[in-house]
Amino acid sequence: METLSNLAFGLGIALSWQNILYCFIGCFLGTLVGVLPGIGPVATVAMLLPFTFGLEPAPALIMLAGIYYGAQYGGSTTAILVNIPGESSSVVTTLDGHQMARRGRAGPALGIAAIGSFIAGCIATLVVAFFAPPLAEIALKFGPADYFSLMVFGLVAAVVLARGSLLKAIAMVCFGILLGLIGTDVNSGVIRFAFGWPELTDGIGFVALAMAFFGITDVIFNLEHEATRSAAITHVTGLLPSREDWKRIIWPIMRGTALGSALGILPGGGAILASFASYSLEKKLSKTPERFGQGAIEGVAAPESANNAGAQTSFIPMLTLGIPANPVMALMIGALMIQGIQPGPTIITEQATLFWGVVVSMWIGNVFLLILNLPLIGLWVRMITVPYRLLFPAIMVFCAIGVFSISNTVFDVYLMALFGLLGYVFHKLGCEPTPLLLGFILGPPMEEFLRRALVLSEGSPVVLVREPLSAMLLAVAAVLLASVLLPTIAKKRAETFVSEG
Amino acid sequence: MCIRSPKDFWAGLIFIAIGSGFILLAQQYRLGDLHRMGPAMFPTLVGALLAALGAVVALRSFVLVGAAVPRFYARPIGVSVLAIVLFGIALQWLGLVAAVAVLVLVGAQASREARLLETLALAAVMIAFSVAVFVWLLGLPLPLWPDS
Repeated sequence: METLSNLAFGLGIALSWQNILYCFIGCFLGTLVGVLPGIGPVATVAMLLPFTFGLEPAPALIMLAGIYYGAQYGGSTTAILVNIPGESSSVVTTLDGHQMARRGRAGPALGIAAIGSFIAGCIATLVVAFFAPPLAEIALKFGPADYFSLMVFGLVAAVVLARGSLLKAIAMVCFGILLGLIGTDVNSGVIRFAFGWPELTDGIGFVALAMAFFGITDVIFNLEHEATRSAAITHVTGLLPSREDWKRIIWPIMRGTALGSALGILPGGGAILASFASYSLEKKLSKTPERFGQGAIEGVAAPESANNAGAQTSFIPMLTLGIPANPVMALMIGALMIQGIQPGPTIITEQATLFWGVVVSMWIGNVFLLILNLPLIGLWVRMITVPYRLLFPAIMVFCAIGVFSISNTVFDVYLMALFGLLGYVFHKLGCEPTPLLLGFILGPPMEEFLRRALVLSEGSPVVLVREPLSAMLLAVAAVLLASVLLPTIAKKRAETFVSEG
Repeated sequence: MCIRSPKDFWAGLIFIAIGSGFILLAQQYRLGDLHRMGPAMFPTLVGALLAALGAVVALRSFVLVGAAVPRFYARPIGVSVLAIVLFGIALQWLGLVAAVAVLVLVGAQASREARLLETLALAAVMIAFSVAVFVWLLGLPLPLWPDS
């Protein structure tokens, strides 16, 4: 029952007027920006990061978490009304959600997305509260070899669960790691790959990288496809689902939540895989699978719940192991490090206020989302109809000012331009930016843990397979890699993504 | 011999270039041995892995059939990158007001649908918003005007 008393402790922190306020502002701003077509959660969180600079760590993380769910939910609204997914995790919602909207059921589709997300959010909050502390306790016993292998496993899982070419994804991870190594080597004090620029002494700014790949590159791609945008459905009535609808969606919501919570903990897939997988599951279980894609209400309820549950449980590996499950979590780690906090297993005990406050405020954030979304739908609809030619210069201004204000040097602004260009080329060549960002965050700790493991083992790399835990993690990673390279499973993986996408 | 998957071919070449670039640059640092890894060790290992993966991806493009590289549109990418660089220069020498004006006025041209009056109005709104929110409300240390 320790968890319950901790939750009560967290409730006390989350319910301080200041934290409630920041949670609310976060949810509101996140939805406001996330609802804009063509802006996903990563870009939203990156753009709004400067708003949290002046805050203490706990309110800052609470606000960022609120921004994240807000952006995610805002993306679903856009997916339903305009048929444009803000990011890959709401791709599935466009299938049936937009069909419902075109048949005059936009209201219930939005209502179900909100209610499904709320139920999933409440359950996933409990999952975080119960699972994170024991996981952190286990993680405290990890040696350097275990950590190194855990990170290898995390990166492998991330590329295996993502879509697209496996080899190119691993290559992007390597490039990310190399970029992460730029700057001062903590061990020897040597400044590596800086070309004599003093601005690179502390390495490349993570936010500049994230904004370039997810903000600037996205803007450019949306501009290339300007003409293909379909008109938004702006007529929304009757948000609450009927009794009949309820009967249909309650189990899909529960299954979506379970699937989402489980997949969210895994490094890599998180919300994206969860929404795809739960959509396929519902389609398989349904007696009338032909309705899917034609406006099936279950096809909105299940992936939306899975999506939100996954978003929430992806905090578990971030807070307890310091391993980001997705680019948003990588940004959160970046934000915590700006605050001087290194995420890892000690965070629950050493930063108890932060941890339990954030967990409880996840639940409060879900209440806010429900309150915000249903009555304010008129405002979101109006945001959606803002033309992109007015929107994208504003996005650039936010990115540029945000990047500058983190380091107070224009060098990072130029870096953002450079990486925007690079991201564009990679995008054209079918290379995803997500593995690069994860590699960038994990590169330096991987080097450090490998070095320590090798010092302890007196230079023998066998230590990585001699330590039982480390060996197990590497074995699982190898099995995962092999499974994707084997033709039958590879086909299955392609199906999960392609047939729905 | 012909390239059947141009996307993979070019991606592979870029990976080889980046990987070998990092290996070459790393040689100026101490390599050390496995017992005491020097600053060059890890980048060399990862760079080698990257170059090897790049080689596999590039060689495979002669065998596996894949998509062509989509067309590059010069206007959106060129104008956006130019606008951001100009923002940086303007911010350093002329302050936030001029920088935001330049970014919006130049950046808006990345779209074919840009209209003059609308863009001017948007620039005014963005300047007012940035000054009010970032400088006054959030107190970020941004210079507003050129320091004389």
